[in-house]
Amino acid sequence: MLDFLKKVFSQSETSSRHKANERLRVVLTHDRMNVSAQVMNDLKTEIIEVIARHFDIEGVPEVNLITEGRNSALDINIPIKGR
Amino acid sequence: MDKKLPESKVIVVTSGKGGVGKTTTVANVSSALARMGYKVVVMDLDIGLKKLDLLLGLENRVVYDIVQVIEGECTLKQALVKDKRFPCLHMLPAAQTRNKEDITPDQVKEVCEQLKADYDFIFIDCPAGIEQGFKNAIAAANKAIVITNPEVSAVRDADRIIGMLESAQFDDIELVVNRLRPEMVHAGNMLSIEDLVEHLCIDLLGVVPEDKSVIISTNKGEPIILNEKAAAATAFNNIALRLSGQEVDFPNFEEESVWHKLKMFSRNFFPNL
Repeated sequence: MLDFLKKVFSQSETSSRHKANERLRVVLTHDRMNVSAQVMNDLKTEIIEVIARHFDIEGVPEVNLITEGRNSALDINIPIKGR
Repeated sequence: MDKKLPESKVIVVTSGKGGVGKTTTVANVSSALARMGYKVVVMDLDIGLKKLDLLLGLENRVVYDIVQVIEGECTLKQALVKDKRFPCLHMLPAAQTRNKEDITPDQVKEVCEQLKADYDFIFIDCPAGIEQGFKNAIAAANKAIVITNPEVSAVRDADRIIGMLESAQFDDIELVVNRLRPEMVHAGNMLSIEDLVEHLCIDLLGVVPEDKSVIISTNKGEPIILNEKAAAATAFNNIALRLSGQEVDFPNFEEESVWHKLKMFSRNFFPNL
């Protein structure tokens, strides 16, 4: 029964295949752009700081690297408080 | 016998990471193409760490090597070793007691130019790594085959190699996935072909399943393609057929298992699964 359940949930988020894909996605993006996870985190903090200097941020700001094929882009989504 | 193709194909087989199956792929795909009647030469550029002669079972026939050719100690024809089984196949051995820095990319190009007159396919067995040996190996090639295994370290290295090939203006780069274990993919414990193609973003040339008989063939110094029953033999043969321009369907290694179907079915009822 346990084996059965294991198989049924095989591609769930706990599978090692899923984990490998997630880790590769991050590491390949960083390798291709030649930036580390630390640099990305610093960049994220700095971008949000700059925006916060001029606007009131409302909600949760997001700064993510997105990839399509071998190309990457910075996806910045910062909700601003309206007047 | 004369060569068949008007334009010779110079193919570098590379991977970044060592031990993923570059030399095994070169030995088998070149043997398969020679069996089909193409004139094929394999160049071992893993200078200092040669293996290709062993995999082809030609270690006792090596007299001269590529460094001696380049340094003018012998002619190219003298250095070429004729294969035991396939008269259309020749090997240009690597030097074992020299370094990768002893030859330059231009010298490799020069050797390849001479070989083009007589051979349809020139395979270059690239050493692991991204240093001088890699630069020597890619200099003369007009096509690259990147070998990877379904594991994170090999995929990361393959991605780096693809980036370097693209910087070197390669526009024909194809992927071979070696040592796939479909049952582990089903169980959610191995990256699938789909996953690998999605990460690496290049076209798929072949998929070679994990096969114990590869070790047995290597022990004997025989190419696995001689063992018709081996799954890996079919896979290498298919790669050779695709390189010769034939369309060969990919066998569905990742055919949906009963469990997978059941899981997809159950998703209809439990979409959060």
